[in-house]
Amino acid sequence: MKELLLEILGWLGYLERPEVALQLALSLGLLSLTRAARHRRWLRRVPYLGYTPVGLMLLALGCLVFRWIAIPYGLARLLGGLWLGWYALNLLDRLLARWLPADRVKQLGSRLLRPLYLIAAAMLLIRSLDSLQDLAVIQFGQLLGVSINAGKLFNSLLVIYLVLVGCGPPAAGLAWMVQRALRLGDGSRKALELMLQYLVVGLGLVGVAIHLGVNTTGLIAVAGGLSVGLGFGVKEVFSNFVSGIWLLFEGSVRPGEVLMIDGDPCEVRRLGLRATLLWRDRDNAELLIPNQAFFTEAATTYTASDRMRRSQVSVGAAYHHNPDQVIALLEATALAVPRVLSDPAPKALLLSYGDSSINYALRFWIANPMTNAGICSEVNQAIWTAFQREGIEIPFPQQVQYGMTGPPGSPQPDANRLR
Amino acid sequence: MMGHPSRWMALLVRFRRLRAGRLLAALTAALSAGLTLSGCIPRWQLPTTLYIAVGVSNDQAIDSEVVQDVQDKLRQLETGFQQLYPNTVFQFSLYPEAEIVEAIRLRTSRGLGPDLALVNGDTALRLLHEGLTDPFPATAEQINAFDPGELRRIRARGSELAGLPLLLQTQLSCFNRERLATPPATVDDVLTTAADGIPIGLPATIENLFWSAGSLGAVAGIDQASMGQEPSKEGKAGIERWLRWLQNASYQQRVLFYSNQPQAEADLASGQLDWITCRSTMLPRLRRKMGQRLGVAPLPDGDTSTASPINRLRVLALGRNSSQAGRKRAVAFGRFGMNPLTQRNLTLGSQIYLPTNRLVRVPVMSSAVLAAMETASQQGRQADQLVNLLHSSDRRIELVQNLINEVVFGEVNPQQATDRMIQILREGP
Repeated sequence: MKELLLEILGWLGYLERPEVALQLALSLGLLSLTRAARHRRWLRRVPYLGYTPVGLMLLALGCLVFRWIAIPYGLARLLGGLWLGWYALNLLDRLLARWLPADRVKQLGSRLLRPLYLIAAAMLLIRSLDSLQDLAVIQFGQLLGVSINAGKLFNSLLVIYLVLVGCGPPAAGLAWMVQRALRLGDGSRKALELMLQYLVVGLGLVGVAIHLGVNTTGLIAVAGGLSVGLGFGVKEVFSNFVSGIWLLFEGSVRPGEVLMIDGDPCEVRRLGLRATLLWRDRDNAELLIPNQAFFTEAATTYTASDRMRRSQVSVGAAYHHNPDQVIALLEATALAVPRVLSDPAPKALLLSYGDSSINYALRFWIANPMTNAGICSEVNQAIWTAFQREGIEIPFPQQVQYGMTGPPGSPQPDANRLR
Repeated sequence: MMGHPSRWMALLVRFRRLRAGRLLAALTAALSAGLTLSGCIPRWQLPTTLYIAVGVSNDQAIDSEVVQDVQDKLRQLETGFQQLYPNTVFQFSLYPEAEIVEAIRLRTSRGLGPDLALVNGDTALRLLHEGLTDPFPATAEQINAFDPGELRRIRARGSELAGLPLLLQTQLSCFNRERLATPPATVDDVLTTAADGIPIGLPATIENLFWSAGSLGAVAGIDQASMGQEPSKEGKAGIERWLRWLQNASYQQRVLFYSNQPQAEADLASGQLDWITCRSTMLPRLRRKMGQRLGVAPLPDGDTSTASPINRLRVLALGRNSSQAGRKRAVAFGRFGMNPLTQRNLTLGSQIYLPTNRLVRVPVMSSAVLAAMETASQQGRQADQLVNLLHSSDRRIELVQNLINEVVFGEVNPQQATDRMIQILREGP
């Protein structure tokens, strides 16, 4: 490590070369200037995305001047190329946004494309300063009897990163194919996708260990040590991880499932290593709940065997309306609401005789449990319209208060104060 | 003591309003002022970094052992130089010799080229021809310290020196002393030894096999053909004798041809081979693995002629991107490297290089390895002309290599191979 740091510090010596300093000043100066100009909108006629091409053209002009006066300009050209590449990545984001959802584009850019680009840029720059082969053999120390050098460590970290970040799309593709072949549901597909990701990550980690030359005995020793460590230090983390895997196999908490959390239906978005991400429609909140909670506590689901939900609205009708007429009207009204399922048929019930109305319940089935609140609203509106049309009164509680009559000779209370 | 709280609040607000840049500038100014006032600046000076690109043999993978070996040798120079120029820091970059020209070209185009390149003589010439290095400014007195034959190998455009000769790496024979009390003295002995059941390893690259051309009297014919002339009758017979010997060797059960040198060395170290041709730079690695079992000797001569190993002249070439201070140090380092005391220390300390300075006497009596290297150095003079005629980038080398492979595999008979070799060499680069 010390060797690598010394090597990196040694590169600072290049700054004493005037042509290096000039190239850096030109490139970084123009980069800063372009950013400032874009931020403060110095050139009103130039669109926001047009500032970088202007900066790059100025840099190219600078390179031509350097060439004319016989000063090396390769570094400025390289930095310009990297700047252009970064700009192209921004354009690519906009292009991808036409076909992919915004969060996917953001994920792809920030987790895969930009980090890979930065690594490639760093490699190009280091190649200009030093020998990569030489740097790759700098020793970092021993791991399980295997000497780890910079090259091995870099390759291993890169592979782990790519496996972690890049295994998503292939796993999704394979899961989609299996879904088509076996006619699985969406939940099963998402579960399969996640399990494939875990499998690829696991294989990737083993592959990296083999690449490093770690022997299997060493790995087993590490696993033994970890199991003791897991018992004490990282019990919760491991428990959550195992719970997640278990839940996936069990199929009760999988992406796409709908669970009741604190009385609200929430859709499972992602089953992570530690926690499950759920989405609550009511307020568009995302809830992160440790996997262990689902493993140990009771949960209500609407999607275990099917995705249908039986919903209910309550309404009162005046005593003078025939309950048969009201029940028939309620059932017909529910059937007329588009998102209410006709089979099983809606069912209206007379629940009780209230203080001011006869209380009815209308029960009906819906296909998507997450749309319950919206459909209930639609049904309630339809009931009001139907009752209005049929002249059925929805009574509200009325209270009449009478002033108390005092003993003879006492003053009468003010009538206005009686409500 | 703390002052009024509102004043402190106002200061805090102003501080938060300061932009990062202004803050940095203010800090820098304060630091500079402080340093100036304390009188630190005149005494403090940035070190001069010398960037040195080192070419490593093509048949040698750059691994931690090679890097360590190279750095150990160069550290000796570094330590000595730092006694004269204490404020100098060295940074070494290792490249395979075949890739170093491209690497230096790339770095030079960016202004990040090395201050010095430690490369083979022909690579130094190529770098100079391609404008990637500057001629080394050497005085007549300094030039006089070198062997004129060696200097011819690195002269360009008449008198310009492509670099300053620093070291000579030689080709030798390495053997297992427990199995071979006396190494083969002649090329015929090599085959006899193999016939006696001693496994022999020969790296099949032309550079590593050329020593046997000298032993079998083929060098004169090859030199003539390389100059575009028809070889003399004796010359042609010498080439045919050489190729016939190679084919005979390949027919021997106990002679193994290797596609690369490191594999042959690994097999010698593991006891699968008992005799191989080796490079002096590989001796430390072999010594570590074989210990006292390792024997070193000059390459076998022929009945009437001596072996012609291609020894590597390592030269220091001047990069083109150096700053003024960097260039001064680079030239000084080159001159320090040719200093007799430095050369003697390098030779005795490592026992893998020979000095290039003629004024340094090699103590051949005290070391069998140095004696073998000195002999190899004398033997190698035969190959000087060919090295001047055929540079490593010459396409004829690849064609001759293919032909040698055919000979070794028995695809072509030595007579036909002789004609084809002469034809290839006469065609020119």
